Amino acid sequence: MHAKSGNASIRDRTQEFLGIAERVKKSYCSQNGPSSSGSKPEEPPRSAMAMQSEFNRRASKIGFGIHQTSQKLAKLAKLAKRTSVFDDPTVEIQELTTVIKQDITALNSAVVDLQFLSNSRNEREHISTDTTTHSTTVVDDLKNRLMSATKEFKDVLTLRTENLKVHENRRQLFSSSVSKNPTNPFIRQRPLASKSAASTSAASPLPWANGSQVDGESQPLLQQQQNQQQQQVVPIQDSYMQSRAEALQNVESTIHELSSIFNQLATLVSQQGEIAIRIDENMEDTVANVEGAQGALLKYLNSISSNRWLMIKIFFVLVFFLMIFLFFVA
Amino acid sequence: MVKITALYVMKCSPEGSDPIILANASDLSSFGFFQRGSVREFLVFVSRTVSKRTPPGQRQSVQHAEYKVHSYNRNGVCALGFMDDHYPVRSAFSLLNQVLDEYQKNFGDSWKTVQADNAEQWPYLDEALTRFQDPAEADKLLKVQRELDETKIIIHKTIDSVLERGVKLDSLVEKSSDLSAASQMFYKQAKRTNQCCTVL
Repeated sequence: MHAKSGNASIRDRTQEFLGIAERVKKSYCSQNGPSSSGSKPEEPPRSAMAMQSEFNRRASKIGFGIHQTSQKLAKLAKLAKRTSVFDDPTVEIQELTTVIKQDITALNSAVVDLQFLSNSRNEREHISTDTTTHSTTVVDDLKNRLMSATKEFKDVLTLRTENLKVHENRRQLFSSSVSKNPTNPFIRQRPLASKSAASTSAASPLPWANGSQVDGESQPLLQQQQNQQQQQVVPIQDSYMQSRAEALQNVESTIHELSSIFNQLATLVSQQGEIAIRIDENMEDTVANVEGAQGALLKYLNSISSNRWLMIKIFFVLVFFLMIFLFFVA
Repeated sequence: MVKITALYVMKCSPEGSDPIILANASDLSSFGFFQRGSVREFLVFVSRTVSKRTPPGQRQSVQHAEYKVHSYNRNGVCALGFMDDHYPVRSAFSLLNQVLDEYQKNFGDSWKTVQADNAEQWPYLDEALTRFQDPAEADKLLKVQRELDETKIIIHKTIDSVLERGVKLDSLVEKSSDLSAASQMFYKQAKRTNQCCTVL
């Protein structure tokens, strides 16, 4: 009989004890001589032993199952802690979750059966109080271990939901388009709920509420894919509305672009207006300069064309040369 | 080239009985003279089947041979359109919406009592068929989008010409500043020649 688990403090020596008791009883019976009455007390001990070994076998099986389940739970906890934004082992986690759930329910029913069996046997056989206390202790211990395993499972699930929520928030922080995807299943569920028949809409929340809260995101998608009847018509309705919404968004974005282009046009034109003003000033300066130069030249022309001083100066110069010429010749 | 082949308005009674034609309009000019009868039969049959299968308050598009049949069932009156594949789906449904509204305005609730196929023509439907061959007519959104696109092209051209104008204005500014500098030199020289020849 293998030990129940590594961390159990109970070691099952019942079988050895029973073997010794049987030997003692046999020797006692052999003293009394084989008799038909003696064989009868042998049978109840044998059947008692058979029951006891049956009980022990089942208890050990249950303990082994609990040990395996707690190991799987440890693996699941590690996966849930390890999960990051992009590298989400969702499929594995979901598989593990379902497996662990099944194991726990099976172990639960097995423990209940074991308890029932021990109670019935104890009532029937009138075995010593030691055995009864031993069996009740064993059953209680198994129940406690199962309960702790279930609690750990629940903790792991809450941890996983919190992680998912944190990831969602981070994803929403970084990109607004990605966040539409997780919310789209919920948006799509509303037209489903309003337009599809009551049965399908009632069916989809129910298994969702009953199932684990972890799979909340993927299960509505599964439910959607399972509703085949309404699925044909609603996406057409959806795509019509969506195409209208898309066209409206296109129009709105075009109008935005147009407004920005108009703004740029206004900026360009105002800059060019300033350039035009500068050109105008330059031209006015030029006109003023040319007019001044023209006036100066006119004055010069006047002074050249009407100079009386020049006549007198030329006459004096001629007279001077005449004098000199007369002096030197005459 | 998008094309509407036919428009039908049918009364869809609840399950079981065949829908009844309230109005129809078809453009069978693309078919030869002898094929028109069979094509018309085919259209009637397909429209009855599709409108029978369309649940109330729903829109549906079915691909049949080379036609797309769009049907819209509203309160028991079903509007159907036979279009080819290129006709945008959204315009088709907005067109069917308009047809239904028009029918509701014209005939009110009298369609509820009709028991047999209506053989008389409804002129609105015929003119609708010719007018809506161009999907932009039917769908205001498409028209607005198209106009916006044209406006955008025109605006782009405007901006290009404004940029050219900017370049020309820049060269003008250069030239005018050169001119003003030259005229200033001219003025100074004129003043100088005037000043120095007072002696002679």
